[in-house]
Amino acid sequence: MSELKSFSMNRASDKLSLENEDIAIEVKDWNLYYGSKQALTGVNMQLPRNRVTAFIGPSGCGKSTLLRCFNRMNDLIDSVSVEGTILLDNEDVYLKSMDVSALRRRVGMVFQKPNPFPKSIFENVCYGLRLQNIKNKQLLNETVEWALRGANLWDEVKDRLDDNALSLSGGQQQRLCIARAIAIKPEVLLLDEPTSALDPISTLAVEELIFELKKEFTILIVTHNMQQAARVSDYTAFMYMGDLVEYTDTDTLFTNPKLKQTEDYISGRYG
Amino acid sequence: MQKKEFSSHISNQLNRNLEELFNHILEMGGMVENQLDMALSALENADAKVAKEVVRFDKVINQAEMEIDRLCIRVLARQQPTASDLRLILATIRIAIDLERMGDEVCKLAKLVIKFHKNDPGVCANYAGYAELVDITTRSREMLKVTLNAFARVSAEDAMSILDQEDVVDHVYEKACKNVTEQFKKNPENVESLLEVMTALRASERLSDHALNIMESIIYLVQGKDVRNMDQERLTKFLEKI
Repeated sequence: MSELKSFSMNRASDKLSLENEDIAIEVKDWNLYYGSKQALTGVNMQLPRNRVTAFIGPSGCGKSTLLRCFNRMNDLIDSVSVEGTILLDNEDVYLKSMDVSALRRRVGMVFQKPNPFPKSIFENVCYGLRLQNIKNKQLLNETVEWALRGANLWDEVKDRLDDNALSLSGGQQQRLCIARAIAIKPEVLLLDEPTSALDPISTLAVEELIFELKKEFTILIVTHNMQQAARVSDYTAFMYMGDLVEYTDTDTLFTNPKLKQTEDYISGRYG
Repeated sequence: MQKKEFSSHISNQLNRNLEELFNHILEMGGMVENQLDMALSALENADAKVAKEVVRFDKVINQAEMEIDRLCIRVLARQQPTASDLRLILATIRIAIDLERMGDEVCKLAKLVIKFHKNDPGVCANYAGYAELVDITTRSREMLKVTLNAFARVSAEDAMSILDQEDVVDHVYEKACKNVTEQFKKNPENVESLLEVMTALRASERLSDHALNIMESIIYLVQGKDVRNMDQERLTKFLEKI
């Protein structure tokens, strides 16, 4: 023995960096008001494609409000006014000429409580396709199977696609809603506290699903559960009172945040 | 407990991270084994060139420890491991520390060869305690191999099989120290070289202590019991129960 073998330990802890990412959404000087009350203040951020970005912060910090800006869900609230720019693939989401229905096909959303329609499992998943007037049965069948497989639900429901979706458990209903959202193949998936109504095991199943789905979609998730943000996301944004306080890769935010305010929040010192 | 339990979580990310921890420790252990083999070769052949390589390689081992620390912090912060997963993290951190220190002790052996070679090339083996030094290092090398295999198999029983070797190492070390002390009296003009041998003997004995620490970490991982401060009698009783 006179020579050292060569060793090359994988650097598992290499950090992500926005500089090396393909940016899907860009937010510039974004302000949002509910009437005269400002809810978001000068938000600037870039959201990378095929990554999971989590928004955390205390209740009322504006994280859900910001999420709903990406598919103009706030348009449904009369008192809302906005300033600034949100670009989806360099296209201004808030242009007057923007077809909002088309935008919402590109930016799908899943809500806190599972909200399946009182229809069959099959009809729930292909609902968006039917709205697009797609009638080709083979295409519908293929898409339903693809979406249910993508949502990790196919094996559990493949023999009962005609059953009413409301007969599914809470965890299954939420995965069905995710299948419904991805069936129309959006570019971006918005998840607004998608597991807050689920038990811990269903939560882990949905989290695992999120990790898998990012291969095909850009995912933005709002969560009250900081541990969940740590588990599922690549990047994390900490918001407080309408401000984007700190936004960086999740490893850094949870091991060595730059700002004391972030550290206090994630370590439970926030008072 | 079986190793496959560490890859049976719903979260594949956690499965992957824990697998990485196992692989990183085994890889770092392989580095120290490799370094020890080279140090033994340098000792047996009084080969200063190989000894210098051993010292240089220590940097790589130090980096491996830092990498394992980073991965452990990442898993703790992001995956919030519990129960045996949490014990795996703690055991991994402790084992990495022991492996890094083993690397340091191996360097001391290599430095002895370098020093002796400079003063008197090729006659290291003539010094009192030198044969025991090679013997202890060889036994420690074997103890390390056994504990690394035990870690790979998540087997406390396999790890504990090094206890007999540790007793032999202690015995040989004691004998070697006596031998060297006698030489101090007989040949006081060689005191400098004999002190070098004594330092190296201590380093080789420490190698076996670190292997023993790794065994304790494996017992903690598998049984959830911290046996570090147990006296020999209590430890024997505890081990009989397993």
